[in-house]
Amino acid sequence: MKKDSSYLIKYTSSGLYCELADVWIDPNKPVKRAIITHAHMDHFTLGCDEYISTYETAIILKERIGKEIKIKTYDYEKEFKINGVKISFHPSGHILGSSQIKFNLADEKWLITGDFKRQKDETCKEYEIVETDYLISESTFGLPIFIWDEPKKTATDITKWVGSSQDKTSILFCYSLGKAQRLLNEISKTNFINNIYSHSSIYKMNNCYKKLGIDIIETKKLEHTKNNSDLKGNLIILPPALNKSSSLKNFKDIQTGFASGWMSIRALRKRSGYDKGFSISDHADWKGILKTIKDSKAKNVFFHHGDSEALNKYLKEKNSINVLEFKYK
Amino acid sequence: MSLKNFSELFIDLDSCNSTNKKIGILKNYFSSNEALENSWTIYLLTGKSNKRFISGRSLKTLFSEIYEYPLWLIDSCYLKVGDSAEVISLLLRNMLPGKNKKFQDVSLQELLNISFQELSILKEDDKKLWLKGIWENIPKESHLVINKILTGTFRVGVSIGLITKSIAKLINLDEAIISHRLMGDFIPSQESYEILIDRKINPSELNYKPYPFLLANTFEKKIIDKSINDFQFEWKWDGIRIQLIKRLGKVSIWTRGQDLVNKSFPELVEKISSINDDFVIDGELLVWNFKESLPLNFSLLQKRINRKAPSRSIQKSLPIIFIAYDLLEINGEDQRDSNLEIRRNSLEKHLYKWLNESKEELSNILKISDLKYPKNWEEVETFKNNSRDNGTEGLVIKNKKSIYTPGRKKGLWWKYKVDPMQLDAVLIYAKGGSGIRAGLYTDYSFALWKDGELIKFASAYSGLKNTEIKELDRWIRQNTIDRFGPVRSVKPEMVFEISFENIQISKRHKSGIAIRFPRITKWRKDKLIKDADTLENAEKLILNK
Repeated sequence: MKKDSSYLIKYTSSGLYCELADVWIDPNKPVKRAIITHAHMDHFTLGCDEYISTYETAIILKERIGKEIKIKTYDYEKEFKINGVKISFHPSGHILGSSQIKFNLADEKWLITGDFKRQKDETCKEYEIVETDYLISESTFGLPIFIWDEPKKTATDITKWVGSSQDKTSILFCYSLGKAQRLLNEISKTNFINNIYSHSSIYKMNNCYKKLGIDIIETKKLEHTKNNSDLKGNLIILPPALNKSSSLKNFKDIQTGFASGWMSIRALRKRSGYDKGFSISDHADWKGILKTIKDSKAKNVFFHHGDSEALNKYLKEKNSINVLEFKYK
Repeated sequence: MSLKNFSELFIDLDSCNSTNKKIGILKNYFSSNEALENSWTIYLLTGKSNKRFISGRSLKTLFSEIYEYPLWLIDSCYLKVGDSAEVISLLLRNMLPGKNKKFQDVSLQELLNISFQELSILKEDDKKLWLKGIWENIPKESHLVINKILTGTFRVGVSIGLITKSIAKLINLDEAIISHRLMGDFIPSQESYEILIDRKINPSELNYKPYPFLLANTFEKKIIDKSINDFQFEWKWDGIRIQLIKRLGKVSIWTRGQDLVNKSFPELVEKISSINDDFVIDGELLVWNFKESLPLNFSLLQKRINRKAPSRSIQKSLPIIFIAYDLLEINGEDQRDSNLEIRRNSLEKHLYKWLNESKEELSNILKISDLKYPKNWEEVETFKNNSRDNGTEGLVIKNKKSIYTPGRKKGLWWKYKVDPMQLDAVLIYAKGGSGIRAGLYTDYSFALWKDGELIKFASAYSGLKNTEIKELDRWIRQNTIDRFGPVRSVKPEMVFEISFENIQISKRHKSGIAIRFPRITKWRKDKLIKDADTLENAEKLILNK
């Protein structure tokens, strides 16, 4: 095994770094040059001199931060070179514009999956299988208790949940970018007959998706609706940060739900403080992670994001793959 | 269609936060299922005898052996979930991708009364086959329910009161009657369900059953506006609340938790049997120090309850006493609609008669709850504050005009508990919680100072708000010094106010003291660890008791 220092990609306290190309991947500090895998804010830091991403990610980012940033975009599959390192984006199936990043130097391939999922999602490109020597991936849900239901089932549950409580306003919490649009897409395929109201942050992202050619059903902007009786029997979609009594006090007779992969565990559901949990995730489940490792034909894997202790041990026991554990630099 | 219906009921109830909706769901379920299945449903929902067919540990081990699945991985999952039954149900989805429908129509009767009963006599290898058969033949939607029943952990947010309400609604009968019918043992059968929903009331069916208990409210300041003469005052004993019943010559001892505990207290059954009258008495059971005429610590009483056939020597070393405070029925006549003053007179009259007549030294086991006569509300305060001198935890204040009705109705009885004792202590260890608290550090150990050293003196896991638990959990993870299995020792930095009900010398504890009902009452972020209390302060509390 090679020494840490000779790796093409290194793990540092500021994020993943390719020294040769002098480029950081989703850095958490301002740096010279940053490649952004997708437009979720925990993968983006303001203040870098230059950003590189897919076109969709760039559009969404600009919409979200409302500022001009210097950002260079490349299409999926299109290879570009920095200091001789060949780099390309490949769909990761997480949200619209999300990508895996392949690094290629002298026939050695490194793949950073970024956040990814293997489930079907009509609001973004499907995960592309990319073969690699080194795989750097995420293990947010790296335990075998995490197995996702079909999104169709979750959407049907949501429709039923709203439909069976017509004396209440149903408030569903979910991430504004990606999850909300996916849910709206899935709900539109069920026999949902009530109105849907979106929080302004979600409404903005819906429009952004539409601009990028994704079909999202029409929702009403929440702020335009002051009358509580209009909301009764209908569905409101809010970002999770608003699940505080101060934000909810304006609504009467509500029931709350949270759409997240964590909600597949009853104990977590009970503890979450929401009335109802809906299991749906934009991350890979256990089987999705294992399949991705296999599909990539990687000989070496490394996980960040989430507790990977059990997953690492499991892979080591199976003995078919080399599990790397980077140390902070 | 039974297991399937029951699993759906579980899911519906589990995700419902409205009491009225739950009652509707239950009523609907009872009216659309057969009597026998309904009886099993009630049995399971009330958790009356959460019999454990198999331990959580065995469930995990057997799963690991059946499917050649690493036990350490199951344990890693358990740390996230905190419930063996759920972990196994979740993991089973990896093993059984297909749809198992064979057993979806199996009845609860068949499962619980026949199939599960066989499990205990099976050998280890046959147990594996049996479990595999169950898991692979019931639909995956039912795995959680089945595993929870197997491990005796089946619980869903349904109280006995909720079942009472839905049955009462179903057959349009007084809740009190249903509540009465549901008291005590409920043995699932078609008959027991039919009796439960019988619109006619049969007096003889009620013979062994206790009345629903009247529960005291927490003291309200506003009652001091009323005349002190409107109230009756008694000590609040720290024992177990009991209804002592003798009807048609048979004695039954019922706890407030609706357990029949005759077996734990044979000497009480024996002595009470010698009384000529029939009766139902409400009172308190205690382990008693006859020399000093004081109750002994609650933990000793627990020892007695847990012993199902206590030997003579245990009966002698841990003698019990029943303190009577209310007469609910005498020679078949229900007294509950008479007011307290009348019931108390009648209790005194009968009790003194029995004590005089008895040859069985009844006075060594049966005692009346003495009344206290404070002259004014200031004196009530004094009585309350001195209650620890009598080994009690405060006063019970009863409206003299109150009738005996089920539950915690307002304006009848109040408990006025003495203020808890408090010490400020330093957090030194934390352990992961289980169940609803899985994945968070929620079990804490606290220490006091002694000669410049922190000595562990109490563990507590309740009292913090959810947001505080999360905040503390984060702090614990960032300030861990060492790990021993699930326990982390943390940097001594955080001070908490610990409240408790009682404190005494204990040789079993390193600190030399033991406290009862410890709980966290405040996160003292304003205090530094040097401001925390010393063991000496704790010892002073014992002396001042």
